[in-house]
Amino acid sequence: MEQFDIVIIGSGPAGLAAALEIEQSGLKQIIIERENRAGGILKQCIHDGFGLHRFKKRLTGPEYAELFLKRVIEKKIPIYKNTFVTEIIEMENKSYRLTLVNSEKSLFEIEAKALILANGCRERTAKQVFIQGTRPAGVYTAGTAQYFTNILGYLPCKKCVILGSGDIGLIMARRLTLEGAKVVGVYEVKDTPSGLSRNIAQCLDDFDIPLYLSKTVTKIHGDKRVEAVTVQKVDLNLNQIPGTEEIIACDGLILSVGLVPENELAKSLGVELDTHTKGPMVNQSLMTSKEGIFSCGNALHVHDLVDFVSESAEIAAKGGIRFVQNKGEEELIHVEFDEKSFLYIVPQKINLLDIEENIHFYFRSKKVLKNVSVVIRTGDTIIFKKFYHNMKPPEMETISVNLKNVLQNKEICFELKEGVST
Amino acid sequence: MIAKYYQFDIIINKPIICTEENNAIKLEGEVSSWQEVIIAGKVAAKSKYRGVINKITVKGITVPSFQRPNFTDNIIEGQRPDVLIIGGGVIGAAIARALSKWEIDLMLVEKECDVAMHASSRNDGMVHPGITHPGSLKAKMNIRGNEMFEDLAKELDVPFKRTGMFILFNSWLEYLFGSTFIIRNAKKNGAKGVKRVKVKEIRKIIPNIPSDIVGGVTAPTTGVCPPYEMTTALAENAIMNGLKLSLETAVINLVETNNEITKVITNRGTVYPKVVINAAGLFADEIAAMANDQFFTIHPRKGEIALLDKNKGDLLNTIVSQVSANLLKSDTKGGALVKTAEGNILVGPTAFEQPYKEDYSTDYTNINALLEVKLPIIKGIEKGDVITYLAGTRAATYKEDFIIEKSKKIKNLIYAAGIQSPGYASSPAIAEEIERITIQLLKEKREINKKKNFMSVRKGIPNLKLLSKQERGELISKRRDYGHIVCRCEEISKGEIIDAIHATIPALTLDAIKRRTRAGMGRCQGGFCTPLIAQIMVEETGKNMLELTKKGDGSNLVSKFTKS
Ligand SMILES: Cc1cc2nc3c(=O)[nH]c(=O)nc-3n(C[C@H](O)[C@H](O)[C@H](O)COP(=O)(O)OP(=O)(O)OC[C@H]3O[C@@H](n4cnc5c(N)ncnc54)[C@H](O)[C@@H]3O)c2cc1C
Ligand SMILES: Cc1cc2nc3c(=O)[nH]c(=O)nc-3n(C[C@H](O)[C@H](O)[C@H](O)COP(=O)(O)OP(=O)(O)OC[C@H]3O[C@@H](n4cnc5c(N)ncnc54)[C@H](O)[C@@H]3O)c2cc1C
Repeated sequence: MEQFDIVIIGSGPAGLAAALEIEQSGLKQIIIERENRAGGILKQCIHDGFGLHRFKKRLTGPEYAELFLKRVIEKKIPIYKNTFVTEIIEMENKSYRLTLVNSEKSLFEIEAKALILANGCRERTAKQVFIQGTRPAGVYTAGTAQYFTNILGYLPCKKCVILGSGDIGLIMARRLTLEGAKVVGVYEVKDTPSGLSRNIAQCLDDFDIPLYLSKTVTKIHGDKRVEAVTVQKVDLNLNQIPGTEEIIACDGLILSVGLVPENELAKSLGVELDTHTKGPMVNQSLMTSKEGIFSCGNALHVHDLVDFVSESAEIAAKGGIRFVQNKGEEELIHVEFDEKSFLYIVPQKINLLDIEENIHFYFRSKKVLKNVSVVIRTGDTIIFKKFYHNMKPPEMETISVNLKNVLQNKEICFELKEGVST
Repeated sequence: MIAKYYQFDIIINKPIICTEENNAIKLEGEVSSWQEVIIAGKVAAKSKYRGVINKITVKGITVPSFQRPNFTDNIIEGQRPDVLIIGGGVIGAAIARALSKWEIDLMLVEKECDVAMHASSRNDGMVHPGITHPGSLKAKMNIRGNEMFEDLAKELDVPFKRTGMFILFNSWLEYLFGSTFIIRNAKKNGAKGVKRVKVKEIRKIIPNIPSDIVGGVTAPTTGVCPPYEMTTALAENAIMNGLKLSLETAVINLVETNNEITKVITNRGTVYPKVVINAAGLFADEIAAMANDQFFTIHPRKGEIALLDKNKGDLLNTIVSQVSANLLKSDTKGGALVKTAEGNILVGPTAFEQPYKEDYSTDYTNINALLEVKLPIIKGIEKGDVITYLAGTRAATYKEDFIIEKSKKIKNLIYAAGIQSPGYASSPAIAEEIERITIQLLKEKREINKKKNFMSVRKGIPNLKLLSKQERGELISKRRDYGHIVCRCEEISKGEIIDAIHATIPALTLDAIKRRTRAGMGRCQGGFCTPLIAQIMVEETGKNMLELTKKGDGSNLVSKFTKS
């Protein structure tokens, strides 16, 4: 059985960035990818807007992935493609044994001292948002519609309703319009859009595609192929308002109703999950509750910008390297936060024995806010504050703080204050 | 002629005309709701007539006839089979398999593009223990069917699990009366092993039942088996033994002369069978009417079902339902939590009357109510675990029992009709009985012998995920495609999908592939694998992507090429 220091699962932007980081340490690694090409979801994102932070350039998804992939190939970092991880078990010596399946080597096992879960996320489905009615052809998640359109070259529908104003939905609204399909409208159940503002402007406004807020699709009609959908208004608690039903003729329903970190492998390993992010609970080096298992990218929490996916992968990779080279001790504290203000904060835990370097925090606000300050408090002392003119749930924020010698009572708490905090 | 207004005016307050036809009671008139149609039928069912023909209409509602293929050709024109079976659900398929043991020319027509597209793929997949309705044909067939099921599943390579079932009570009074009632019925029917169980014993098997449960009843013979796989397996085994299966073939009319069916007219040609078996499920009454022999009406009783993510499967390893005063009042009584043979927890079904036989839409209020009542039966499952829901309709007659008999009027017509729940559990027994009746009828015409070379064993598509690592590895080394995972949620390989496409009954639609292999049945509901399966279908069938469908004509996956 082949032994590795670190095994990376997933070759999306997260997996590739992690691999390049590990390469510098000289540790023995391998990437496992179940698809036939590396690049993850970026392969099908042919629009531009990737890499603005990292490379100060507007790249397309494949271009962004290519920048990493080229170096991965140059450095001869091995990737098992078309290879599926069917089982991971923890061995007595604390290493992990992975059972892999592919057509070349059939069923085989490898062993790793550390694992980096970079396996991305999946889309929520029509059933998961409880749309009822019939189950005809023509109901697709935005990602599936994107695959049909961008990779296979087929339009999934001629006239569609898009449910959910997440970025993929907005991007698909534009894409389908450019390909000659009619997008009747984008419907969003919440009273604010879920996607980035720049996507609302560039994907909807520029193409006169209407965006309807506080409205959702409740029913699908048509036995064989979608013939219409019922849309309905919802109140502020997102309950459907009877009597507001409207039937809209269309032959497709495209759903962009949220992404969920893919955490089946993590779950099978007994990794503790965060109910807010739906990804694993991690410390500042992105190690999960299981020693030696790290998580990054969309598998950890859903990112809107790929730049931060790569960044989180590098953090996880560094953590993995340190773990393999000298298993450090852990003394963990929870990062407290005001649940009314924040959707989530990652990392959820701090290892007090490892706070030499700056810690990167990623978070989202729970609602749209103007003129607020994020305050980090330990005991009665404020150790960090930052003012924001705007803050909204679709846009992930990130801050970097040094906690060395400042944590009192082993406590850290995130708060949101109105205005400029003093 | 029966008393004109009977007792309906008291209940319905509308004139209902009752006449006698074909020894059945026939109702006519117009009422204002479907509910009233059902009430009238139920009252009439209490009469001494052998069946109820309910022709009452509701103002503003037109009930459609069956959906049928929109093309015609001559592919089966002029065929003269000994036996023609109408309907490719589990009943038609089981009958076909039973009759394929005999030296006869056998044909089955099914209007859809695959078998098991109606009730037989839209049910709980439960092999009931037979503990209700003593004295009915349902009870008799259920008990016998249950006995036969396990061996049949083994022969046909379909997973069967004898999970047992627990009925829980949360009040001593209901427990006392309820359990006595169930056990008495079970005894009358001859169901084995049905007895009271203490909470402590139940907890050993289902640890996370609610704290207020006072006791339960166990029915250990209960089992589960995937119904679409079973139906496919039965039909495939029958084909191995000579059955001619004609899909997308709807029986549009029957020609009857001198109380004998002489011609069966379909959209794919006219057939001249010696014997006709009516296993047309929800439309068995329309087939009877085509033969001028209607004596019952099918009223579709809809049932909705929700399926939970496999990752919660470990919370239940049996079937559990709960009886409580609250439940008895609710519309969703009868449903259960079922651990399916495939490993998901299934919730349901609901049960309510509505006019449309092929309306399989689900309803927000019903599904919500179902989940609210059923999910609390075991702790740890919640609404967020639902991955999909579906609906089916039960083919109920007003007499609420199976009709398994030779027509009293038409010499060469045999009925397997009114096969509502527990029709799936009963299917092997129903087939056995129909086999007996059919062979007897044929023997009146000529000598019939059993086949010497009947093949009772059929191999299905291997499910690699369920094999041992060694077996799986060996299979992959022989067929590389078995190592290429396409459906990540259910871990289904390209090889398995190719097998399904080229199986004895080829799976040529996305849904058919799903029913054969489970690809697309997992938590992402085909999000990742749909385009990949579509590509495999293109490679394997030579069809164009634009021609591929989800479930037959008119359900195309994509609309057109992109511009680029
Ligand atoms: C439609 C869309 C539009 C976007 N638009 C933008 C944009 O304009 N600008 C921007 O900056 N960001 C954008 N993003 C966000 C960004 O692209 C993603 O956040 C990023 O791709 C996530 O990277 P990842 O590596 O975590 O996951 P992925 O890219 O999803 O990669 C995960 C990889 O892991 C593999 N894998 C998963 N499980 C297993 C397993 N068990 N075994 C083996 N392999 C496995 C998968 O096949 C996949 O290749 C967009 C995302 C989407 C979906
Ligand atoms: C929600 C629900 C849950 C259930 N749960 C269970 C359970 O757990 N256990 C159990 O034992 N039973 C259960 N049942 C009952 C069980 O599903 C049925 O009894 C069984 O599937 C009936 O099989 P069938 O072959 O008679 O009907 P079907 O499967 O409906 O087959 C009839 C076939 O005839 C075809 N047909 C109709 N008209 C024509 C025509 N004119 N020409 C050609 N073909 C035609 C139809 O297309 C159809 O395929 C349940 C039913 C429902 C609805």
